[in-house]
Amino acid sequence: MAKYIARRVFYMFITLFLIATATFFLMKTLPGSPIASASKLTPDQLAVVEAKYGLNEPLPVQYGKYMLNLAQGDLGNSFQFKGASVTDLIINRLGPSFLLGAQGMILGVLIGIVLGMIAALRQNTIWDYGSTLIAIIGISIPSFVFATTLQYWFGVQLGWFPVALWKDGWMSSVLPSIALAMGPLAIASRFIRTEMIEVLSSDYITLARSKGASGFEVAFKHAFRNALIPLVTVLGPVAAGLLTGSLVIEQIFAIPGIGEQFVKAIMINDYSIIMGTTLFFSVFLIFIILVVDVLYGVIDPRIRLSGGNS
Amino acid sequence: MTQNLDKLPADSFKRITIDSSAAERISKPSLSFWQDAWLRIRKNKAAIVSIVILILIILMSFIGPMLSPHDAETQTLTHANLPPKVQGFENLGFWDGVGNMAGTDVDLYELKKVDTYYWFGTDGLGRDMFSRVWEGTQISLFIAFVAAIIDMVIGVLYGGISAYYGGRVDDIMQRIVEILYGIPNLVVVILMILVMDPGIMAIIIAITITGWIGMSRVVRGQVLKYKNQEFVLASRTLGASNNRIISKHLLPNILGIIIINTMFTIPGAIFFEAFLSFIGLGLQPPAASLGTLINDGYKLIKFQPHILMFPSIVLSLLMVAFNLLGDGLRDALDPKMKD
Amino acid sequence: MKKSKLVWLLSLMLVLSVFLAACGKDEPAAPAKETDTEETTDGEGTETETEEEPAEGALDAEQILNLNHVAEIPSLDSSIVEDQVGFDMLGNVNEGLMRLDQENVPVPAMAAEEPTISEDGLTYTFKLRDAKWSDGSPVTANDFEYAWKRAIDPATGSPYGPYMMAGVIKNATAIGEKKAEVADLGVKALDEKTLEVTLERPVPYFISLMSFGTFFPLKEEFVKAQGDKYATNSETVLYNGPFIMTDWDGTGLTWKLKKNEQYWDAETVKLTQINFDVVKEVATAVNLYTTGEKDRTGLSGEYAMQYANDENLLKELEPTIFYFKYNQERNGEKTALANKNIREALAKAFNKDDLASVVLANGSLPANYLVPKEFTFTAEGADFREVNGDLATYNVEEAKAAWDKGLSELGVTELTLEILGGDSDLSKKMDEYFKSQLETNLEGLTITLKEVPFNVRLELDEAQDYDIQVSGWGPDYQDPMTFVDLFVTGSSHNLMSYSNPEFDKLIESAKGELALDAEGRWNAMAQAEKILLADDYAIAPIYQRGTMALVQPYVKGIVSHPFGGDYSYKWAYISGKE
Repeated sequence: MAKYIARRVFYMFITLFLIATATFFLMKTLPGSPIASASKLTPDQLAVVEAKYGLNEPLPVQYGKYMLNLAQGDLGNSFQFKGASVTDLIINRLGPSFLLGAQGMILGVLIGIVLGMIAALRQNTIWDYGSTLIAIIGISIPSFVFATTLQYWFGVQLGWFPVALWKDGWMSSVLPSIALAMGPLAIASRFIRTEMIEVLSSDYITLARSKGASGFEVAFKHAFRNALIPLVTVLGPVAAGLLTGSLVIEQIFAIPGIGEQFVKAIMINDYSIIMGTTLFFSVFLIFIILVVDVLYGVIDPRIRLSGGNS
Repeated sequence: MTQNLDKLPADSFKRITIDSSAAERISKPSLSFWQDAWLRIRKNKAAIVSIVILILIILMSFIGPMLSPHDAETQTLTHANLPPKVQGFENLGFWDGVGNMAGTDVDLYELKKVDTYYWFGTDGLGRDMFSRVWEGTQISLFIAFVAAIIDMVIGVLYGGISAYYGGRVDDIMQRIVEILYGIPNLVVVILMILVMDPGIMAIIIAITITGWIGMSRVVRGQVLKYKNQEFVLASRTLGASNNRIISKHLLPNILGIIIINTMFTIPGAIFFEAFLSFIGLGLQPPAASLGTLINDGYKLIKFQPHILMFPSIVLSLLMVAFNLLGDGLRDALDPKMKD
Repeated sequence: MKKSKLVWLLSLMLVLSVFLAACGKDEPAAPAKETDTEETTDGEGTETETEEEPAEGALDAEQILNLNHVAEIPSLDSSIVEDQVGFDMLGNVNEGLMRLDQENVPVPAMAAEEPTISEDGLTYTFKLRDAKWSDGSPVTANDFEYAWKRAIDPATGSPYGPYMMAGVIKNATAIGEKKAEVADLGVKALDEKTLEVTLERPVPYFISLMSFGTFFPLKEEFVKAQGDKYATNSETVLYNGPFIMTDWDGTGLTWKLKKNEQYWDAETVKLTQINFDVVKEVATAVNLYTTGEKDRTGLSGEYAMQYANDENLLKELEPTIFYFKYNQERNGEKTALANKNIREALAKAFNKDDLASVVLANGSLPANYLVPKEFTFTAEGADFREVNGDLATYNVEEAKAAWDKGLSELGVTELTLEILGGDSDLSKKMDEYFKSQLETNLEGLTITLKEVPFNVRLELDEAQDYDIQVSGWGPDYQDPMTFVDLFVTGSSHNLMSYSNPEFDKLIESAKGELALDAEGRWNAMAQAEKILLADDYAIAPIYQRGTMALVQPYVKGIVSHPFGGDYSYKWAYISGKE
């Protein structure tokens, strides 16, 4: 096991290196310049400003310098926020994104599991359709419409929660978390339903039933545990996606998160923020995939970790 | 037990012979996989309703623009921002052309001296929303179907090969996926859209370029789960070829999850397109999709709700229908659920 | 079957309930009490004697303003700032020699009085008043000299320094071309309180430049001590303006302005604190305004239309002009737009009135001119627009005639042209309108639309890779020159291969020999505008932007400016909130 993980961590670094390289060159092919007032400057003046940021050097040189700095743990300075270190920016913006992502994920998955189990245990009844419907409604409406509606009803009309901004502590995170929970909710409930129906029709469940196990016991002890397996595979990337994908929610609720900053950076060619956040997300994602693969072996002993010698 | 047996009268028993041919007789009519599936999906009312709704929406997306006397592109600025008005509803209190103007409800058709009917109202440039909604539906469905099919084909092949052959192949293929997954989707998508001529194809390619990865991971997980199970091992022991194992044993087992995933890919694609229009990279006008229509409309939610409402309802119906149909198909296609 | 029906009914109801939000009555949740009963006028200077109010007038006890901004502050370094938010904040926390007053007239600020100007208009001598930095040290002439030299120094990489100074301050252009040293810049501290500025040529609008952020002072000792960290958060800046900034971490979405007790005119400043939050989504900003959490919100695009009749709506006309930029040479080849008749046809073939009132509907005006209305005036107060009036107005007949002529000159019957526009919803809507109008009015024309993010558009612009571009320009100083100068041959903005020696000559004379002849200069610029728009049809003006904002009735005295920072809060106060 330890050997397997060590191997994977080693791969992780190679993967990260390749991601950094690919992103670097892709990003440099994006049209546009990070210098906002480029249109006002004569070519000479622009060249001076570009030289200051090292943009005038050939790409391989820029790449080499970036990688060297990266190896020393330096993500560089933002173009947009003059003189601000990207590391600080990510650390500052991470908290809110992480809180929202985690809350949205937990809320969504919990409700999703409950809905999925109800649907599976009462297949093709009004319960099934009802829970399916609730799960789907959440994702049938684009998140910006859904978030705006939440904001209008619970913030403006009822006044139960802050309309927006990151000022009222935990209360500020409620509406955005609910808005974020819709995706995981739908995914979790669908997968739980599918898997549980399948497990419930398998022989060992029939056996357990015939031995007199209660419906509850069957559902939780046997079916649920097995249904969790595919859910884990799917939710890993969803978790990472929640961090990046919360752009819309963060923008609508005016939350100082990382997703919102990331998209803006791409649009205005803030190369150091693009690279910094990309690497951060990649580390997070690859780590989650690793955890999922390990968990996979733990939850389902049928799958052996085939670390290369199978 | 043994004592009781002795007390039984012998004439209670009758000797019979075993007709070995009867045991082999199939009492149910022989059905192909798809016939069987159809039989079962027919029993699932939600799925049937979903099929009907999907067919209706698809039909409407083609004939809808023809039904309306106004076409989707003509701009009549004097008719801008009209609420919906339908023949025969004039006195019913809705769909009567009454809209909110600066806080009061007035018949905007009367006010602007418009004597025609816009069933879904008009947008800010005076274009007929009815035609635009159905044409938008057509484009959204096209984007979604093409993207979903491409995702499915690439994802299943990639995930299947990776898991089935395992070992080094799996290792390399998964590392590649990890790299692709790690590169921010948005960088690639924006690059694609900016490099290619903006349009439907650019958006489809942008959606699929990393979209298949999700499918491939799910397929890989499923194949890993099944490939070492007894029935596959048995088949292999009996000398079945890889093709046969894949097509007869693995594929039917993972079909359900492929279909469910595809049913998520379709709304996912529609949504991703809407997201792109939210950040300003959606379809280039005058082409419109449900996503761009909703994006236009959500800003007017308080004063011209009709611009948001109709495309949203069509979109929601599509979502619900695809999902319920997906469930129905899943139940129907799973070979282990024969009754 | 019953169940399914129920499911569908349920689903529809759920969907519909979401939209009920739309139909919900739009009551302001926390309205200011009795706003429309007591208050009759909200014009400035109306002193209503309300009995229960204390003698000091209408001022509330709590003078805190809550505002939002559309973006983060990228920097507070006056040499580096290049964006709207940065300049806006800079104008409130720091101050230059001059400041635009409530009527947008430059008045002495750090300068004690109007400068003395030499006979030839080339040397300006400023006497500084006794003002202090927020650390208590005096603002000296050396602070200006240092700041300006820092801004022109290539090592600083200032975008606005060279842009604002080149051709204005002596040797600024030469420093950029490495033909002179930074030390040669025409600015010199004669003593602690006297600053002498030498210009390259007489610049009639020079005084108004002094209110622009790039020309603000910097305390050398402090800036050098902070090094790279200077102005990267609210602790590493020195302030000499009406407010100081606090709680800004350099990248965050929130910050505060607090009254600067060291400010020379501190008694004018009534507000004790302004709380800023970045809210990028207009819907959210409107909701925050509705619940009373924010006192003011800008309305863009669709929202402006919806609040057109709100009693707290504030409409302002910005001196920003949008126009079609016709590219006459693309990829080294002449385009159809090199034909004057084609340009004329396109300029006259779309209805600007409809565009401004129906499509934009945000207070914008149809523009038949380049130099905006209500922007520049003669000494007698006559608007620059009075000289030329309307040029290139909407006229389908003339457009069609010119179009036919142009097509036959080109020897074609059909043309396909691309319009390059921005990616905001409003510009997309506008582009669709252009397409429809132009294609309807000009037979044989096909318009393709290309809408890309802003910095991609800049790149296409630089490469001259477009046919027609919807372009906009806001002024950098208060003079028509900031607009007409854009189109001289070889200008960094003239990326459309337009060149007319007569036009260039007029601009040159306005900058040179006519510099001290106010009327001659005025007429030369007007003549140039006419050549540009009505003879050459080099560009086609579309509209002058209007802005709309919702402002709580108790907020008074926010002053908006045509260039530099958008708003001054120096004179703002709260009255009637409690």
